[in-house]
Amino acid sequence: MWQVYFKELTELLRDKKTLIFVILLPILIFPVLFGIVGLVMATTTSKAMEEQHRYVIINEQQAPQFAEALFYHKNFKKVETTLSSEQELVAAIRNDEFDVALVIPADFASRKASVQQTEWQLIYNRSSQLDFMYNYFDEMLKTYTEELQRDTLSQLGVDPANLTAILKPVELTRVNTAEQRENIGESMGAILAYALVLLCLSGAMYPAVDMGAGEKERGTLETLLICPVSRTAIVLGKFLTVLTTALMTALITVVSLGVWGAIISAFADLSKVSEALASITVVDLVLMFSLLLPTAAIFAALLLAISIYARTFKEAQNYMSPLTILVIVPLMIAMAPGMELDVTTALIPLTNIALAIKELLKGTADYGLLALIFASTTALAGALIAFCVHWFQQEKVLFR
Amino acid sequence: MIEIKGLAKAFAISKGNKLSDTEKQDVRYSEKAFHSVRDVSFTCGNGEVLGLLGPNGAGKTTTLRMLSTALKQDSGSVFINDIDVLQKPIQARKEIGFLSADTGLYGKLTAFENVAYFARLHGMKEAEIKSRIDELFTLLDMHNFANRRVDTMSTGMKQKTAIARAVVHSPKVVILDEPTTGLDIMTVQTVLDFIKSLKAQGTPVIFSTHHLDEVGALCDRVVVIDKGLSSFSGSLAEFKQLTPGGDLRQAFLAVIANQVQQGAA
Repeated sequence: MWQVYFKELTELLRDKKTLIFVILLPILIFPVLFGIVGLVMATTTSKAMEEQHRYVIINEQQAPQFAEALFYHKNFKKVETTLSSEQELVAAIRNDEFDVALVIPADFASRKASVQQTEWQLIYNRSSQLDFMYNYFDEMLKTYTEELQRDTLSQLGVDPANLTAILKPVELTRVNTAEQRENIGESMGAILAYALVLLCLSGAMYPAVDMGAGEKERGTLETLLICPVSRTAIVLGKFLTVLTTALMTALITVVSLGVWGAIISAFADLSKVSEALASITVVDLVLMFSLLLPTAAIFAALLLAISIYARTFKEAQNYMSPLTILVIVPLMIAMAPGMELDVTTALIPLTNIALAIKELLKGTADYGLLALIFASTTALAGALIAFCVHWFQQEKVLFR
Repeated sequence: MIEIKGLAKAFAISKGNKLSDTEKQDVRYSEKAFHSVRDVSFTCGNGEVLGLLGPNGAGKTTTLRMLSTALKQDSGSVFINDIDVLQKPIQARKEIGFLSADTGLYGKLTAFENVAYFARLHGMKEAEIKSRIDELFTLLDMHNFANRRVDTMSTGMKQKTAIARAVVHSPKVVILDEPTTGLDIMTVQTVLDFIKSLKAQGTPVIFSTHHLDEVGALCDRVVVIDKGLSSFSGSLAEFKQLTPGGDLRQAFLAVIANQVQQGAA
């Protein structure tokens, strides 16, 4: 078994594809992923913030102070129009004549004087993901309405200094009992588990294809089968190699995450993140790895069984593609809002691992449930390894 | 010594597969199975070279796979030096050196590493492996590419490596499946010389081939397999006598055409 293991490992380490999937991808995935997302977000936001919107204002004489504030706003440029009805304004925006129309009712000034509420209309295209338009108007309107409130209160003989207390007599403030680690674990945990499990799968996939279908295609399997070694030893040697690469991928990912996290924290002012990450103990990391071990074993056994069945490299890859979707679904379930680790979810394969990793990162893991997850996942892995060994004894599978 | 009696092997036909008209007329096909080997018997004594002949798809490779323990026979028996391959496959494998039609080598490993890997799988010690590989690489003139990766080798180099791999454990019996197919003249000669050296050492050698000149030059015995049956099994002299001029090609065609009775055992 160990002869097969070391030989397979030597071959894999000499293979460029393995090096890419097992070492390079896990090292680069986080900085590249975060870098790209950050860059795209920053570029889009900055572009949206610098954009100047063409506007029309209907009945601006009703609110001259507001019209003036809008006129001097750096993100707005006034456009003259003779249109007034809602339909006409909507059509003009669709025809790209201007970007936004503010409709102030014709009786606003008189209604304001008689202390009546009025509704203003803001017409614009809201399909953009970054809706800065509403924010700009909301901000300006806040300032404007505050001034109106002060004026009105003065007219009513109330001291404007008491304005805040009159308008909002009670202010509700929140005190968060969750530690910084819990907050970060909650937001990062599910994504990290998702990445770790999928990287385990991708790390196992290529070596599994190579060691089963690849051996068949190259004609080396037959030669191996007639060596004085039991087929159980051969398949276990191959299984251990696939398991090693899957775990290596996960391990490199965790180390890469730690290193890149430290680098980012050092350059950016993320002391809270650093403190939270520092509170994750070695025991937590060992537990995380212990849970990934049977998970990787499940993938290794399953992928190897598929690969052994396939006649060619391509056939094996075709069989394995749907497996990725089958793995993603339980991981997505774990990411769903309100999904908690309990006795039921602890028995759902992969969902349980993702939830457990999240709990470990948060520092709120229930060790009883972790033991249950470890036991159920190990039992499943054991059953799949037994199936893989049985599968490798079948002539109809080996010589299809 | 290799003894094969009444060997048979069938492969199940998938439920969805419908037989073609040609297959329906072929006696090897039944509704549920393809009887690749139906009844093959022959013996190959120590120091003998046996040539296994037959058209493509006749059942030669399946027979050799059963001999080498890669496949289990449905009925019949195979004894390698009195070891029943069905009962004691691991023990039988220690006795066998097998070269498949594919070279069966690992592309990312060097010639030395490929041969050493199989030597280890045969339980050889490191010192023993080194001296044996040195001996084989000298015999097959392989030292100049010993540390070269297989996927950068020529076909001839690969075949030499495959031969070294097949016999690294000094097997008592050697089985070669079409060992000279696709090789250049020089490499073919190396392979044939190697078979001769095995014969000289008293090792029984079975090799399947389509090259009748090689059979004429090397073989003591000839077995012709056609449609899963050993249609002829006898000495080279008996095979030659099947046709008046002693022409091997004519003799082979005569056996295939069922124009002669099965030769002496």
